[in-house]
Amino acid sequence: MAAADSPSAALRRRDLCSRGIRLAGKMRSDVIDLLDTYVEQQGLDASASVAAVEGVPAAAAERWDEQTGPQRLLENLAAYRAFRALLAQMLEEQREQLGEADAAVGRALAAILLQVSAFAYHLEELLRLESRGVPSEEGAAPPPPPHLSLFERKLRGLGVLRELAQWAVRSARDLRQLAKPSPGSGAAPSPAESP
Amino acid sequence: QNLKCVTHNLRKMICTWSVSSKGRYGQTDFCYSTNDLPPPVCFKTREKRVEIPVPESSSTVTITTNSISGAAFATKEFEIHKKDISFVPIAPRILSLTPDFSTSTLNLKWSDNGSVFPYGLDAFWQIQILRKEAMEKVTQVTYYSKLTHEDIIHSWNWTSDMPLECTSHYVKIRCYINVTQFVGPKDWSDWSPIEEIPGKDTEPKGSGVFPQDTVVAVGSDVTICCVHEEGQEIQRMTYGPEIYPMIRLSSRSSAIRVLNASASDTSGTNVVCILSEDEMDGTVLFVGYAPDIPQNLSCETSNFLIIKCTWKPGRPSGLYGKRRTKYSLFERISGKNVSCEVNEMNRERVCGFPVLADQKTYDFILGVSNPIGQMESSLLVDLTQRVRPKTPEKLTVSGNSSTSVRLHWFINGSFAEITLLCQTEISSRHSERKLHNVSVPGGKFSTYTVQLNALHPYTKYQFRVRCSAAEHFWRWSDWSNIEEHTTLEA
Repeated sequence: MAAADSPSAALRRRDLCSRGIRLAGKMRSDVIDLLDTYVEQQGLDASASVAAVEGVPAAAAERWDEQTGPQRLLENLAAYRAFRALLAQMLEEQREQLGEADAAVGRALAAILLQVSAFAYHLEELLRLESRGVPSEEGAAPPPPPHLSLFERKLRGLGVLRELAQWAVRSARDLRQLAKPSPGSGAAPSPAESP
Repeated sequence: QNLKCVTHNLRKMICTWSVSSKGRYGQTDFCYSTNDLPPPVCFKTREKRVEIPVPESSSTVTITTNSISGAAFATKEFEIHKKDISFVPIAPRILSLTPDFSTSTLNLKWSDNGSVFPYGLDAFWQIQILRKEAMEKVTQVTYYSKLTHEDIIHSWNWTSDMPLECTSHYVKIRCYINVTQFVGPKDWSDWSPIEEIPGKDTEPKGSGVFPQDTVVAVGSDVTICCVHEEGQEIQRMTYGPEIYPMIRLSSRSSAIRVLNASASDTSGTNVVCILSEDEMDGTVLFVGYAPDIPQNLSCETSNFLIIKCTWKPGRPSGLYGKRRTKYSLFERISGKNVSCEVNEMNRERVCGFPVLADQKTYDFILGVSNPIGQMESSLLVDLTQRVRPKTPEKLTVSGNSSTSVRLHWFINGSFAEITLLCQTEISSRHSERKLHNVSVPGGKFSTYTVQLNALHPYTKYQFRVRCSAAEHFWRWSDWSNIEEHTTLEA
C-alpha cells in the first residue's frame, strides 16, 4: 500500500475485498459447472490437455508473494478485461454455430460474462481506493480472434474456461492479501481475525 | 529387318527398322514408292526411322545400308500393305488439372486434337486416377466423345472419396480412336505425362485434419485424414468417442473411414488426431439431413398488408446455427424474393411476405436449403380467398333502449376490397347463446358497427364478435374480448 491507511479506507478496502472474494468464489463454481456442460456439449474429452491458448492470461504468477497490492490489482484487472473479450467471443461463436439450439451453454456463458464484468468493475473500485489511476480500455481492444478451425475453437473455449477458473482462485488469494491491514493503519482487526 | 510402320494421324506414318550386322555403318539410302505415285522417292538418313505418307493401298520400300566408306553392303525391299500399318494416336496432353478442395473435386481439361482426324470419328479416353505415396490406382474411367475435325477442349470432373489435402492425387489419360475404315491394327495411345495435385503431406509444414469443419448427409461414408509434420507419429484417431483403425496414406498422413455416419450432436462430431508428445489436432464433422419437403404450406392475410405463410418443417435436419436450414419465399408473378427469419426450435415455421399493390393472385415457391440439399414447395393463392382478419378490438356496446344495442369494434387492417362477415355471440343467463351474422363493407383500419334488436329488457348480456371474409370464407378471426351490457328497463 502506498501510504498508511486511514481507518475508513482500510474498512472500505476490507469490505470490497471480502465482497470480491465472495464474487470470485461464485464465479469459480459457476465456471466449473459450465466447464462440465461445455465439455459435454462440445463433445470434448474432459481430460484433454490444452496447450497454452494465445491471448488467454495465465493465472500462474512467478514470485506471487512479492507482488504489491496495486500490481495484484492491475494484473487481475488486465486478466478479467481479457476474459470479458474472450467470453464475448465465445458467446458470439455459440450463437453462430448453434443458433437457438442448446441455448443453456449460451445462457451460462452470458451469466459468467456478467460476473467477469462485475468483477472487473470491482477491481477498478479497489484501484481507485488505492488512489491508483485505472488503466483506460482505449487502445487495449482485444486482438481480433485468430482464424481457428472449429475444433481449435472448441479447445480454445475449454482453455479459456479452465484458466478463468484458476484466475478466480488466484483472485481470491490476491484479495485476501489485500485485505490484510497494512502497517500503522491502526485499524481494528478484521472481524475474521477478531478473537 | 523388322520394318514397322505406325501412323498417328492417318496421313503420315513413321517407319522404323533394325540392322542385323553389329559393325559400324554409314548412311542409309531410303526409297519408297506407292501405287499412286510411281517414281520412287529416295533420300538418305542416318536414322533408322523415317516419316513417309500413308499409302492408299500399299508402298514399296527399298532400304540400302552403306558402309562407313559409302559403299552399299546390304539392300532389302519391303512391300507395306495398309493392313500392316498400325494406327496409334498421339498421347493426349492434359491442359489443366484443377483441384477444388472444398468439394474434393478434380477438374481435368484436355484437347482432343480432333483437327488431325476426319470428322465424326468415335474417340475413347481412359482416365486413370492414382493416389498416395505408392501411386496406387484409385479408379480408371472411360470417357467417350466424337471428333469433329476441330480441336475440342474436354472437361471432366472427378470427386475423390477423401479430401484432396490428405495425400497427392495423380491423373493420366490416353485415347483410342475408332477409325472404322482403317484396316490396319489400331491401339491405345501412350499415357499422357502424369499430372499431380500435391497433398498437404508434401508441404514442409503441412499439417491438419481434413476435411475441415464440413457437413455431410446422414448415412454417408466419410474419409477423414490427419496430416502431421515430419518426425511426428499418430497415436490414435477418434471419431466421437470411438477409436478408429487407421489407413496409412503416406509417411505423414493417415486416415480413418467412417461408414454410414449417424447424425451428430448440435456442436458436431469431433474427429481427434492424437499425436506423439500429447499433441492434438482435430476437425468437426456435422452429419445431418437434407431439408424435408415443407408440409402443409398455407398462406393467409390478416390485414391485407402482410401475407403470413406457415408450414411444418418435416424431419429436423440436425444442423444448427450457420448450417441451419434456411427458408426463402419467392413469388413468381412479381419476382419478389423474401428470406425468412426462422427459429429452429419452433415446430411451426412462419414467414411474412408483403401484400403487393394491385396483385390478388400469388404464386409462391417456398425454397428450403441447407448445406446438404435443398427442397421447395409451391402454393398458388388468391389472396381474397385467404383472409383471416385480425381479432376485433375495442369492442364497445352502446344503447339507450330496452330491446336493442349497438356494438362497435375496430379491426386493424385494410379490408376495403372485400366484404366482411361478422358474427356476434349474444349470451345471457336466461337464454341460450345466440349467434347473429351480419355482412359489413370492409374498411381501411376502420371501426364497424352493428345493431342488435329483439333483446330482453333489463337483462345483462355478454357480447363478443369475430369476423371473416364474406364472399370466400376462409377462417374466422379469433373472438374479441367479451363486453357486458344490461338493457334498460322496459
